[in-house]
Amino acid sequence: MSVVGERIKANSTALIWQWVFLGLIFLVSLIIPWIVSPLWVRIITEILMWAGLAQSWNIIGGYTGYLSFGHGAFFGMGAYVTGIAMMNLEWPFGVGLLLSGIMAALLAVVIGYPTLRLRGAYFAIATWAFGEMIRQIALILEITGGAFGMQLPAFLNLPFFYYVTLGITGLTYLTTYLLLERSRFGYKLLAIREHEEAAEMVGVDTVVIKMKAFALSAFFPGVFGGIYAYWVTYIHPDSVFGAIITDFMVVMAFLGGIGSLWGPFLGAVVVQLVNRILWLTWGEGTFYLVIIGAAICGVVLFIPNGIVGLLEARIFSPREALSQLRKMVKW
Amino acid sequence: MKKQMYRKLIILSFIALVIVMVGFALPPYGQAQEKRDFFKIGVVTSLSGELAFGGSVTKRGYDLWADTVNALGGIEIAGKKYKVNLVYADDQSTPATAAVAGERLITQEQVDFILGPYASGTTLALAPITEKYKMPHITGSAESPLIWKRKFKYTFGTIPTVTLIAQASIQTLAKDVSPKPKTIAILGIDDAFSKFGAEAFKTTAEKEGIKVLKYDIVPEGTDYTPSISAIKALNPDIFAMGNHEKAAIEMMKIAKELKFNPKAFVQHYGMTTPDFRKGLGKDSEFVFGTAVWTPNLKHEGTILFKTTKEYADAFKTKFGTDPDYTEAASTAAGITFQEALRMIKAKPPLTQEQKDALIGALEKLNIKTFYGPIKFATEGDFYHDNAGLQPIALQYQGGKIVEVGPGKLRVVSPKYPTPSWDKR
Amino acid sequence: MELFLQTVIDGLLIGGLIIVVGIGFSLCFGVMHIVDFAVGEWVMLGAYIGFLFVRYLGHDPMIYLPIIFLIFCACGWAIYPLIFRAVSGKRHNPVLMGLVFTFGLSILAKGGALSVWGYHIQSITTWLSGKSISLDVATIPALRFAGFLFGILITVLFMIFLYRTNLGITIRATAQDREMANLLGADVRKVGAFVYSLYAGVTGMSGVLIGALFSIHATMGAKYCTLAFFVVVLAGMGYVPGVIIAALILGLLQSFVGVYIGGRYNLVALFMVMYGVLLITPKGILRKGI
Repeated sequence: MSVVGERIKANSTALIWQWVFLGLIFLVSLIIPWIVSPLWVRIITEILMWAGLAQSWNIIGGYTGYLSFGHGAFFGMGAYVTGIAMMNLEWPFGVGLLLSGIMAALLAVVIGYPTLRLRGAYFAIATWAFGEMIRQIALILEITGGAFGMQLPAFLNLPFFYYVTLGITGLTYLTTYLLLERSRFGYKLLAIREHEEAAEMVGVDTVVIKMKAFALSAFFPGVFGGIYAYWVTYIHPDSVFGAIITDFMVVMAFLGGIGSLWGPFLGAVVVQLVNRILWLTWGEGTFYLVIIGAAICGVVLFIPNGIVGLLEARIFSPREALSQLRKMVKW
Repeated sequence: MKKQMYRKLIILSFIALVIVMVGFALPPYGQAQEKRDFFKIGVVTSLSGELAFGGSVTKRGYDLWADTVNALGGIEIAGKKYKVNLVYADDQSTPATAAVAGERLITQEQVDFILGPYASGTTLALAPITEKYKMPHITGSAESPLIWKRKFKYTFGTIPTVTLIAQASIQTLAKDVSPKPKTIAILGIDDAFSKFGAEAFKTTAEKEGIKVLKYDIVPEGTDYTPSISAIKALNPDIFAMGNHEKAAIEMMKIAKELKFNPKAFVQHYGMTTPDFRKGLGKDSEFVFGTAVWTPNLKHEGTILFKTTKEYADAFKTKFGTDPDYTEAASTAAGITFQEALRMIKAKPPLTQEQKDALIGALEKLNIKTFYGPIKFATEGDFYHDNAGLQPIALQYQGGKIVEVGPGKLRVVSPKYPTPSWDKR
Repeated sequence: MELFLQTVIDGLLIGGLIIVVGIGFSLCFGVMHIVDFAVGEWVMLGAYIGFLFVRYLGHDPMIYLPIIFLIFCACGWAIYPLIFRAVSGKRHNPVLMGLVFTFGLSILAKGGALSVWGYHIQSITTWLSGKSISLDVATIPALRFAGFLFGILITVLFMIFLYRTNLGITIRATAQDREMANLLGADVRKVGAFVYSLYAGVTGMSGVLIGALFSIHATMGAKYCTLAFFVVVLAGMGYVPGVIIAALILGLLQSFVGVYIGGRYNLVALFMVMYGVLLITPKGILRKGI
């Protein structure tokens, strides 16, 4: 796992290179809608959204070590809050988005208070149960439209959604960088992940810190949910509360490398790109599930630190990579 | 710092790989419409995911249309024949992908018009896209009334909504059998389509003076035993199920196990599928259902298939099974476009003016086909839906599906009351 | 009164089926501390294999139960080394790694089933299907009753095995304290492999039964994953005898909510109870979990 301290000691040349690199990417991303076909703008928007979602999950799952298997609930919550705000209350989109994030964070606080007391597998199962419960409630309630889903007015300005998504994803990563990689808050989370009792003994207020992390990790999915609702214009408990949302978040974060800053981004790019490219060329959409499943198993078995872990290990050549692999697997 | 350099190299090559992958799938964008002498038609449907079964149903319908038209040389417009070429895009049974699929077909493949998805949810996500790009879009399957309430200008549907169809079986039972049933219990699955069906049962029953003893909606996948036990205790005359075939099979199995014997079992969609018959075997006897079309009807058409029987035979030859009404409606969607194109004398590739003219033609359309009459409503709650089609009540008798009403639409009398399980 | 009795019976029978799924799952967690997210997929695969046997070889699916048991035991035995590798070694958080690994397995199995067998809904019937025992006050579906008996039988066998045989004692020792058991001579890896393959075999078998009672579909697994979690959470992870009580409670809960409150609240009630138990008594309602 990338230890926070290592970054601080980084070589200054490498640091400058990193910033230049990021700046370039940022500039390119600003002009994407003008140089790429609408189809690809859409696909890239999707990838950005997932990158943001995966990173949000990473906050509680990777940095804090609490695997939340019901995280999709926050996404769905955001989607419906924006939907209700825009349809029933006729508030503007921006207000809806803000409300979505806040409501999702509040939800996290409400369920986090009892649930974060659980450890390990129990936390995973509890959050999973909670996620499913929210989905069932959404199916029953009148205000969500129940099984009929909810429709939003169609605002079909593709670049608008691209920029909004880009902005929020950027915000997610910036927040993660500032709050988790570069501050005491991040150190405290790390301490909780590595050894919670020890952290408590040293004076870390684990309850409050965990809640903050959980709320933070829920805020962004809420906002993304709101964006999604307005973008696709039709939401339904199965499409926004479905396990598939959480599944993808977890897979992408794991594949890319949990606990790292760029891991979820890489994971999102790989997974969603593979999904879409297979879809474009092959036309069929279920086989990628097999690939995803195999990928997760492979990652857990061989590269538990994800792609980022691969990059950080000292692998200079294919031969070394193979011998490392063989050593790890003990074949 | 060799390690740093190697790491940068790997990252850069990763990015290069991504760009190459993207570039290879990137289309020639913004080119002017290439000249072509065939119609390029986009199809968005569920080729994978949980609705893949339904998607394949629409695919068969659309395929049969395309193949038959091409076998005749193509669509005839102003004396010349133009072949059709279907381009499929999978919506993966999710609304988000349906939107991307639409975007892809319209902007990348530059199709002339679109044949729509199987499910209502995906159609609801696709419709705004076709609306934005002003692309004519007909769905041969989606039945939710929510679609028509939105009044999309560019979207049409050949199947009347489920709220109109589901009535037929209840009406038949109310009017054509004796003694007239007095009570009904309704069990519906909590998904968009089934719930509408269940509600339609309820409203029709109330209108016909049949008392609704219980109206229960359950999530898909639960064990229906408790709900059916409760219904059995109320002893209704009719047991109506709003669901797809999977839940229908399970509910019938449970009814048999609990020895629940209402005077009639009513289902809506699913009893016509071969899976239902295979799953239940003899237990599927006497179950009522509804459709807007069966292979036994005596419609006559002016385009492509002259009679219903001709279509049914063609379908059976090609796919080996009898067609159901979704497949017929999908083929009818193709025929609708065909006729509208002929009316405006459009040649491929279609320009935007021609597409708009196509919408006008579709609104004026009033044709008879093997599927029945096609005339889209131009106002009201069922805007652009083929609401005029008469629904028919069906029943399984002697292993076959027969038309039993309502009223004069019947071919055979309905068998009522249903004999109890031990007496079969 | 009749309805009440029927509701009770329905509930007990629903619970009976789930016992089998819950027992293997509980044991898996108790002994190896592995939460198998793929439990539903084992059920699904069992159902499909049973279906294939019936389709190509004919006869009643119940005949194939022993063969299916062996097939799945073999599969479990083959997969276990991978799971072992996932949870041991210098991994960061073994339980969670195991969880994610089995999660990956479940996606793999589901995708594979969808790709290979498609999306058609299959159905199998046995000689007991559709038959029921009619009492004056209630009707008892025969096949469900058989499932209930099967569940009880399996539990009894498991209990005898765990408490009366040497291998059983070894397994329980490993569950209590792995390192100690290792030091005392138990081959922890072999024990784990044995337990896992037993679990896979039993769960696969239950799949055939479940397939006969409901329908068979590639995505049916999620439902049983839910039910297994629920049962095991209530029973206390790793506490095998509690599974019977928990499964019956599950069945009764579903039944009573379905009859008296309304089928819509079925799953909500389920999750609320499960969530509540996790918060109030995470070690199960009998407080005997791990």
